[in-house]
Amino acid sequence: MPFNHKPQKFNAKINTVTIGSGDKTVTFGGDSTFPFYSFDAPAENTPKVGVEISDMGLEGFSAGIKAYYEGAETMGDIAKKAAAMEGADFLALTLEGGDPNGANKSIDELLAVVKEVAEAVDCPLVVEGCKNVEKDAELLPKVCEVLQGRNVLILSEKEENYKAIGAAAGLAYDQIVGAESAVDINLAKQLNVVTTQLGVNAQKIVMNIGSAAVGYGYEYVVSTMDRIKGAALSQNDNMLQMPIITPVSTETWGVKEAMASEADMPEWGSQDERGIDMEIMTAAADLAAGSDAVILRHPQSVATISKMIKALA
Amino acid sequence: MTLFESVFAGNDAVYGLTEGAINQAIEQYGADKAVSFPNTAYSLPCYYAVTGTKISTLAELKEGLGVLKSLMTREKRTHDVFMSGVATALCAEFIEVLKYIDGATPYEEPCYGHLADAAIRELGVPLVTGDIPGVAVIIGKAASAEEAATLVKSYQSQGILVTLVGDIIDQLAEVNYKTGANVRVIPLGKDITAVIHVVSVALRAALIFGNVTPGDAATLMEYTMKRVPAFVNAFAPLNDVIVACGAGAIALGFPVITNQPDVARVPKSLICQTDVSKWNATSLEARDIKIKITNIDIPVAFASAFEGEIIRRKDMQVEFDGSRVDCAELVQTCDPSEVEDHKITVVGPEVDEMAEGSKNSIAYVVKVAGKNMQADFEPVIERKFHNYINCIEGVYHTGQRDMQRIRISHDAFNAGFRAKHLGEVLYAQVKNEFDAVVDKCEVVIYTDPAECTRVRHEVAIPIFEKRDERLDTLTDESVDVYYSCILCQAFSPSHVCVVTPERLGLCGAVSWLDAKATHQLDPNGPCQVITKERPIDENLGAYEDVDEAVQKLSQGALEHVTLYSIMQDPMTSCGCFECICGIEPFSNGVVIANREYAGMTPLGMTFPEMASMTGGGVQTPGFMGHGKHFISSKKFMKAEGGIERIVWMPKELKEFVADRLNATAKELYGIDNFTDMIGDETIAEDPETLVGFLTEKGHPALGLEPMM
Repeated sequence: MPFNHKPQKFNAKINTVTIGSGDKTVTFGGDSTFPFYSFDAPAENTPKVGVEISDMGLEGFSAGIKAYYEGAETMGDIAKKAAAMEGADFLALTLEGGDPNGANKSIDELLAVVKEVAEAVDCPLVVEGCKNVEKDAELLPKVCEVLQGRNVLILSEKEENYKAIGAAAGLAYDQIVGAESAVDINLAKQLNVVTTQLGVNAQKIVMNIGSAAVGYGYEYVVSTMDRIKGAALSQNDNMLQMPIITPVSTETWGVKEAMASEADMPEWGSQDERGIDMEIMTAAADLAAGSDAVILRHPQSVATISKMIKALA
Repeated sequence: MTLFESVFAGNDAVYGLTEGAINQAIEQYGADKAVSFPNTAYSLPCYYAVTGTKISTLAELKEGLGVLKSLMTREKRTHDVFMSGVATALCAEFIEVLKYIDGATPYEEPCYGHLADAAIRELGVPLVTGDIPGVAVIIGKAASAEEAATLVKSYQSQGILVTLVGDIIDQLAEVNYKTGANVRVIPLGKDITAVIHVVSVALRAALIFGNVTPGDAATLMEYTMKRVPAFVNAFAPLNDVIVACGAGAIALGFPVITNQPDVARVPKSLICQTDVSKWNATSLEARDIKIKITNIDIPVAFASAFEGEIIRRKDMQVEFDGSRVDCAELVQTCDPSEVEDHKITVVGPEVDEMAEGSKNSIAYVVKVAGKNMQADFEPVIERKFHNYINCIEGVYHTGQRDMQRIRISHDAFNAGFRAKHLGEVLYAQVKNEFDAVVDKCEVVIYTDPAECTRVRHEVAIPIFEKRDERLDTLTDESVDVYYSCILCQAFSPSHVCVVTPERLGLCGAVSWLDAKATHQLDPNGPCQVITKERPIDENLGAYEDVDEAVQKLSQGALEHVTLYSIMQDPMTSCGCFECICGIEPFSNGVVIANREYAGMTPLGMTFPEMASMTGGGVQTPGFMGHGKHFISSKKFMKAEGGIERIVWMPKELKEFVADRLNATAKELYGIDNFTDMIGDETIAEDPETLVGFLTEKGHPALGLEPMM
């Protein structure tokens, strides 16, 4: 029987959201097919890859990542090197040092880092908070203020602090709101609904629907993304048509496969390789399930995933 | 003088002053002289927001006067009053902007005058989040500096942003009251025209945070009305100019509260309250501002960590026991005028007047009022009392209605815990958790035994009976809408519960009333309204509306669901069903197993095996998950004949549902003691023995059509 190709056409598409300013911008979303189904309709846009750096400098980064940044003395140097990474579309700065249960840096200290990075590079920026909802509710509005005009994506606004972060990023300082929920289609949708009810334009929202490293309950991530894309495209649900960004590295560099030293686990082989493998596998799965952008750390992961996107799109 | 005359006269006076001031400025500086407020992208923000025109020179300011004149219509309609109020406010902006010519700094400490755009962005975020729950605009001169300070303090302690205009600024300075943006008390200026600087904040907030198009006055006013929780407190004596400015405030949706006794009143907008100590409560009520309670004022800790704490007899100071003496706990919906917010009264002896180790009466009545409050929510709120009181360190609560039992430990008592603190906890929790429906809340705690007897028998029990009656008469036919519940989709993605009065959620935890309350409290949450306007087949319980809702909520995984059939498009199950019912082909009946039942059923399957047939949001005709209370419902598999199909249940479950099930069987089929005809594990665990038993008992299912 001859193969009869029936394209699956949807009368809906994922919103396009652009971050960055001037001629350095990057656009997420825009597709009207399932991920990489370029046989159904030509892709309007390809998924994007971001490089993550941290306010903690290179502390905690793997040997391979440290090697890449060798010679970088300041946050500005690190940012420049990250932005120059092969395959990088944007830069993501995480302010993990602000976590009250961690380094608990003051907001002023963190803002100084934000300013230094923003001055060092002119590429599109994503700023990730410290993950503590109370601290983020104070910190991220200030970040929005100091980055006025840069059109940055602020990660993350959550159910607990959506008003403060949504209002600051989406209304007061005209940035892009990153709405983060915990791997549940209804929670993702509810957060988008309440954020738009604040007055934030739906076209200025990017979702982080939550993630996991592969092998760590990852099936939930796939089915949630799958259902979100399904609802967005086949049901034209405009409260789920926001593009999805997935911070991969924060998940994958914290699991035992990436953290166990070679001394402890000689049979597992090179620690750096393992970390890269986890990062690449998770990112590839995220993209295949529906992420419009991923955030990675290792230069080799960034190069590999951007190559994969080019090959599949 | 009528309100119309007052506003028009005030408006005319201010207009005259404005015109004079502009002419004089033109004479002095020339018509091309630049005018603008400093540090704003909006030049004259109010004029720009209302008209869409940016003024940059004195000549344009003069043209602007013509536009204002066109607003000043003089017919005696409320619209004319409001527009004249707006015109007065804009005149004030013109007068104020003239003060800033040539980069002048007309305001000095402590006054702020015009506020920069950056300040608005900074204030805007806490306004949106509710961290600043409201904005008070206080105008004029209080009777004394102390009165002024007390009023300002009352708002400040609630986190409300206070702006000041007029002599009150000097009064606060007189008593060394600290002011400034950092303490949320902002003196604007001493002239009445300085009031425009707070209006300017509200209107720029609408432009920045509301994306309102400048010039779209209708949307602008709708935004300020709905989203800017400001109100005006104006001290007597009021002159025409203040009244005209007040009309402008009302046009923006900001109520005006004054102590001028002869002011013409406008319901909800222009309110006379001669007792200034009540301005805070009156203002908050008029503007519908709710203050979040962050700290419960009790001498012991309050946290969910204490929920499971048990107070043994030897650790107990006193106890209250509804099973021995008269007790009750009750939520009562009242008219707002009958409720004084945060009033807590103890009628009878306090805990320190009770003998150690004694058993006492207690009855607490939580009186609530609110625009969205409905009597149906009373039991929903009441059911939370158990949880609230248990979360108090050293206090323990069981039971409900008039059967509650409370113990207070020695430690809690020694720390100072008294009966009145129960009131504090109930007040704070009800206000916080039910803020969508409860605007005001008052608690009366009775410990006087005679009063407890009266409250229990004359107040509470009649209400409980009425509620039970309402529950009994609440049928699927008697309501206009059903509710969806998708709380379980996190782990069962395509499952949707359709909750009706006669079919509660299969977990047993979500009744139709619960779903209704959940929807009201969290309008974007898991429970949404499902209409029932387009029936397809009433016997099956099939509706186009229900189908559409489940299609949408299951993201297309489900297309049709019937409410009353186990065979045709049965409702799905998530996995947390209390019971599963499955068809038993030999008897034409169904077998029900509850989660607690560990043995075998006549289907040759245990509960977990049956559960695997029906969980996960899939439709398996012949199997259905449901709540225990659904078993006695007249809607239980009504399409297949109803409860007379039930042939087997575990003994424990049978006993649990017996009274209600027998009543339903009597009503539907005239069968007495129906449960005696139903098998259980002591009678049969295999189909042959079961059929033998059913035949002997003459079970009606045997004579029914086979289901498949």
